Amino acid sequence: MKIVDQKNITVDRSFAEEIAKRSGENVFLCYQCKKCASGCPSRMFMDSTPTELMRYVQLGMVDEAMKGNTVWFCLSCQTCSARCPQDIDIAHVIDTVKIIVQEKKIKADTKNERLFNWLWMKILKYIGRMYEVGLTGMLNLFTGRPFKDLPLGIKMIRKHKLRLLPSIRKPFATMKMFSRAKRLKK
Amino acid sequence: MKIAYYPGCSLHSTGVEYDISTRKVCDAMGIELAEVKDWICCGSTPAHRCDDLMSVALPAKNLALAAETDNLKEVCAPCASCYSRLKFTQERMTDENLKRNVEQIIGSQYPEDVRVLHMLDVIVEKIGTDAIKEKVVKSLDGIKVACYYGCLMTRPPKVTGRQRFENPTDMESVMEALGAEAIDWNMKTFCCGASFALTQTDVVLELTRKILADADSAGAQVISVGCPLCHVNLDGRQQQINEKFNMNLKIPTFYFTELMGLALGIEAKDLGIHRHLTKVEDFLKERALA
Repeated sequence: MKIVDQKNITVDRSFAEEIAKRSGENVFLCYQCKKCASGCPSRMFMDSTPTELMRYVQLGMVDEAMKGNTVWFCLSCQTCSARCPQDIDIAHVIDTVKIIVQEKKIKADTKNERLFNWLWMKILKYIGRMYEVGLTGMLNLFTGRPFKDLPLGIKMIRKHKLRLLPSIRKPFATMKMFSRAKRLKK
Repeated sequence: MKIAYYPGCSLHSTGVEYDISTRKVCDAMGIELAEVKDWICCGSTPAHRCDDLMSVALPAKNLALAAETDNLKEVCAPCASCYSRLKFTQERMTDENLKRNVEQIIGSQYPEDVRVLHMLDVIVEKIGTDAIKEKVVKSLDGIKVACYYGCLMTRPPKVTGRQRFENPTDMESVMEALGAEAIDWNMKTFCCGASFALTQTDVVLELTRKILADADSAGAQVISVGCPLCHVNLDGRQQQINEKFNMNLKIPTFYFTELMGLALGIEAKDLGIHRHLTKVEDFLKERALA
């Protein structure tokens, strides 16, 4: 057994502090009760549980938190945030980890979510409202499975549940908002 | 009674029958819906997953537009995701720093005094179950309904302000007022997987299977929902689930406004029910509702 002197153990708080600065959530309040992990509907798909993720953030284990698939399987269903006895908005912590990965362009197994979010925000910026056919079409094309859900899509177009053309109203309104936000972030 | 109406993107596309039935039911119950002029997308889930500032600014813009709509102080959103984003924004805007930034982005003042309601709140609070009972023409007598709320109508309670967030009962009270029998089941606030349908369909098929199988084993004849994304998954993916898991599910999934419309004597065709992806015609005929 390897014995480590307590003095030699260092905990890097900077990651937790960045999360706190961005989201306002104090991860050090977590005492690992596992209520979030027990309630998480997506748990069975994840490498490690939301509870473990909170520990990674507390201990500054950046790679484990960012590169594992845990945050990328979060459905944003808010079960963990609703049940946390310490009132930590865990889903917001998860979102914040994802935002850091996307902003810093860190390589991670994002399960196509980075692309999905990027497409979504671009459509929103230039059209102002969601354009489902364009979103799904481009997503399927870029992920190399152009015919995914095609029968379902055709059925939905036939039932007038999907519009082939986007409804463009006031595109400059949203474009202006995005450029103002970009300036603010600088 | 007049209330500002924020339909959101889904109600103009995949959930078009939710929009149609909502308007019909409100019309029948004497509620005037004033659609928010030039509303934009609320950003939904992808926005808060990749851009914290915009995820607050987009709903804030819509709240500002809603406040301008005939000077109304209340806005209702039928989509659970829109409702949740509007509510989240109101909670986040207590931060003065963030508020200043958001006001700069939206180019106008952020309205403090707009109240956000889900469509179900409008039905329960503004109309009330007694008034619904009086207007029922075709009672849904003997129909066993599983009321499905999904995630964002009730969670997180800090944002939605709901007392019974684990076991909500508002939709049940509406269904019982229509004469239907609301059954007890386990999955009423379980997540269906939502937009993962596009990126990781297997997750959605697994979660939706759990919901449908539980409703089925609890004896539900129909499922009632209040969210367009839940409806797309529960209604539209049944065939894929049957193929993948070798099951034989055929549970008609309705928006609660559609069931209300049917009970109020509105024709199924006028409510847009023919647009469902899982066959409902047999069920409607059997129950003499079509």
